[in-house]
Amino acid sequence: MSAEYSIIVDEAKCVQCHACEVACKTWNNIESDISFRKIKTIWIGKYPDIRSCYVSIGCMHCAEPACVEACPVSAVTKRESDGIVVVNAEICTGCQACFDACPFDVPQYGSDGKMRKCDLCLNKIDHAAQTPVCVTTCPTQAIKLVSITGKDKLTAEQTLAAVIGN
Amino acid sequence: MNTKIYSYTYEEAGQIAEKEGLKFIPTLCSMCGPVPGSCGIYAFTKNGKFVKAAGMKEAPVNNGSLCPKGHAAPQWVYSSDRLKIPLRRTGKKGEGKFEKISWDDAVSVIAEKLSLQKKESGPESLAILAPAFRSYNAYMSRFLTAHGSPNYAHSGICAMQRAFAFLYTVADWPQADIENSDLIIYWGRQPVFSSPAMAAPKMLTAAKSRGARIISIKPSVEPDAGMADLWLPVRPGTDAALALAMLNIVAKENLIDTNFVEEWCYGYDKLQEHVKQYPPEWAEKITGIPAKKIIETARLYATTGKACIDLGNGVEHAPSASDTIRSVAILMAITGHLDRPGTNLFGGVSYVPGSRPMPKDITLRERYSKELIDKLVAPEFPKVFQPFLEGISSSYYKIFESVLTGKPYPIRSVISPGTQPSVSNRGSKNVIKALEKLDFYVVIDVMRTADMNYADVVLPVATPYETDHPFEARDGWIFIRNKVIDRMGDYKSIYEFFLDLGVAMGYGNDFWDGDINKAMDDQLQPFNLTVDELRKHPNGIVYPSLPRTYEKYEMVFNRPSPRLAGGKLLPRGKVAIYNTTFEQAGYRPLPEWTEPPESISGNPDLTKKYPLILSDYHTSRNFTASWQRNVPALRKIQPHPVLHIHPDTAKERGINNTDWIIVESPHGNMKVKAELFPGIRPDTVMILHGWWQGCREKNIDDYPLLDGGANVNNMYSTDTEKACDPLITAMSSQTLVQVRKA
Repeated sequence: MSAEYSIIVDEAKCVQCHACEVACKTWNNIESDISFRKIKTIWIGKYPDIRSCYVSIGCMHCAEPACVEACPVSAVTKRESDGIVVVNAEICTGCQACFDACPFDVPQYGSDGKMRKCDLCLNKIDHAAQTPVCVTTCPTQAIKLVSITGKDKLTAEQTLAAVIGN
Repeated sequence: MNTKIYSYTYEEAGQIAEKEGLKFIPTLCSMCGPVPGSCGIYAFTKNGKFVKAAGMKEAPVNNGSLCPKGHAAPQWVYSSDRLKIPLRRTGKKGEGKFEKISWDDAVSVIAEKLSLQKKESGPESLAILAPAFRSYNAYMSRFLTAHGSPNYAHSGICAMQRAFAFLYTVADWPQADIENSDLIIYWGRQPVFSSPAMAAPKMLTAAKSRGARIISIKPSVEPDAGMADLWLPVRPGTDAALALAMLNIVAKENLIDTNFVEEWCYGYDKLQEHVKQYPPEWAEKITGIPAKKIIETARLYATTGKACIDLGNGVEHAPSASDTIRSVAILMAITGHLDRPGTNLFGGVSYVPGSRPMPKDITLRERYSKELIDKLVAPEFPKVFQPFLEGISSSYYKIFESVLTGKPYPIRSVISPGTQPSVSNRGSKNVIKALEKLDFYVVIDVMRTADMNYADVVLPVATPYETDHPFEARDGWIFIRNKVIDRMGDYKSIYEFFLDLGVAMGYGNDFWDGDINKAMDDQLQPFNLTVDELRKHPNGIVYPSLPRTYEKYEMVFNRPSPRLAGGKLLPRGKVAIYNTTFEQAGYRPLPEWTEPPESISGNPDLTKKYPLILSDYHTSRNFTASWQRNVPALRKIQPHPVLHIHPDTAKERGINNTDWIIVESPHGNMKVKAELFPGIRPDTVMILHGWWQGCREKNIDDYPLLDGGANVNNMYSTDTEKACDPLITAMSSQTLVQVRKA
């Protein structure tokens, strides 16, 4: 398998600051109600023996994306060259089948009803030399842009799904 | 796995700008207000419009990170809530009817009124409300001193409270050496939301990664408590009881640094006797923390060599606040945790003078006199301890009490620059009553404010993105702002306002004849720089720190006191466990316990009607204080005012997540939403303070300022005898409430 890009999160380092979420909006000029990255609080235990951790969740550009599988009109595709999952807004009908399929609740729908999600700042940056602003802005380096094999990506997906309990 | 980290340097910001057809301007973020120690950013503009920002890699403050507020800055700058034209009130107070006037006319109106009142009632009839610490506070102090008023109104609930109690106990506000510590206690501290892009969250996660043990003391689970090895869910306002019980254990089990106590402490024997009355079982009843957890924490701290305490703002909101802070300072001292690696180090707010240049002090404190101090309307610290670090200061809330009671005399004019007294400090009902009665109220802000409709004059000012001043200097980094965009109306900056007003009042000699560059050149003298020279450094100048030295007891314990009466902070050159300075001034020589005005242990009868404790969060992950609710990208993160309530407590009341609920205290009520929050004490509910502002883009209206709204400062006691710490004000933010479905 060739190398694929993804953004992975280290839940031990995410401090729930939401910088990635808002940086993404201003840098990609996304309407305020759409969040390509969301922060989820995970509770572990019960009061008073309770802990929490936080995860910044965005599109994982899954090794085997359920959204691609679910889309009835093939508006969502996975690029072979770099593994980035992209949406063709011209084809998307806004049926939201992808939302039901995604294990990470990633797909968002804008005021035009079309599905929107993280495209790893495709066409905006050179992934060989740069990282998206959500990553550069993270104070604790909890999220990272990685180039990994499909196998490692599957592991990362499973780890995240286990952390958020999906 | 292949990982890259890529923050933006000057060169890289330039490359991005070129690629995207943008201009880039290195400057400082302003979303926490213009403060020394702001984050460095690159602001990007398109056709003269501010479109986005990135963290500046070269800035020592943030090293390239930037928080959500910093990224949302363009939405804030272009908000429909911006004030652009000066206004003069034409309708009744509170009605919101104004006429437009020019900047120059507005300044003249203010100057005439202040001159008249000075003649009629003396200069002390003017008070200026200090917002949270801003770099223009020095200009406010300067204006007041030039005018002849001591009434610089400091909140009484932030930072100076810790500084005071620490300085008069150990002559320094010792900072936690988190990077080198094996045990870190975050106590009433919010290491993430207070400054997400700065060092504190990075140090927290790094400590966690290297295996340092973390203890968090606070009523609910925020990120630090979520990551902690031990969480002590303390009832709001009871930290003093916890600290006294820790002293009890340390003394009883002799877990002290005997040599340090013998050589550098005064009054340990008296403390030993005194704290016998505060066993952990006693503290359990007050704090709600099991005695065994208190004992475990005390033992762990005392017996871990590299242990530190990061004492936060959470302890500054109770009548026992000074006792908490003194107890913690004493705990550090007697266990040998002062100025040694991994402990609490000297060099906080009163860092070793001379190690790095600091801007010239422009507060005119050389003119302070006993007469000026005697005129204080409501001293934040007792007169005998004035001035303190920020200068002569009055208590913010009590300014409004003087308007209502006329005691000791009524304040006649209040200037409110970047602060909202009806929501950001206590006693909202009395504040509104006072604003209705006040002779003259001036609101100065970049944005529509909560109590602007009570103002006689409203002066819009520039956001710092619209100015090329001031410079800011802290921790060895000096940087001068660059203007990102042009101003959008007839206004100037807050700094220029005080210069213009100074000139209009005839104080031009003290106000650099109204020239902001001259003002800055004057302040830059210790750096041997002019504004023009400083501006040639696109990333500012970093002054390296001198190598740190430890155990500076002889030097630090003999520091002079800032008070007019002079003398040393510690008269014996030793840690003041038994504080003879306080004793002579009529205050407690040893820390004691005082109940908050309303509490479970102090008012058991009241708990029948109001069974839960209410307190509030001082900082939020996405808003600065009572601001920025109008910024859509930030409001999206937290659209509604939510009360954190334990699921069991909610269930008993038939309350589900996101239900609208009524929260009622003996002093007021709020209508807010419930957030079922597993990580909070079941007997406690908490909410973020500062809710009033709507968000037009999200069709959310303003909330009422008083009952029926979401303003937590409407909920607390204003009985200043019971609600304020006698030494440091620290007005209480705890009460008892009942909660029900709306």
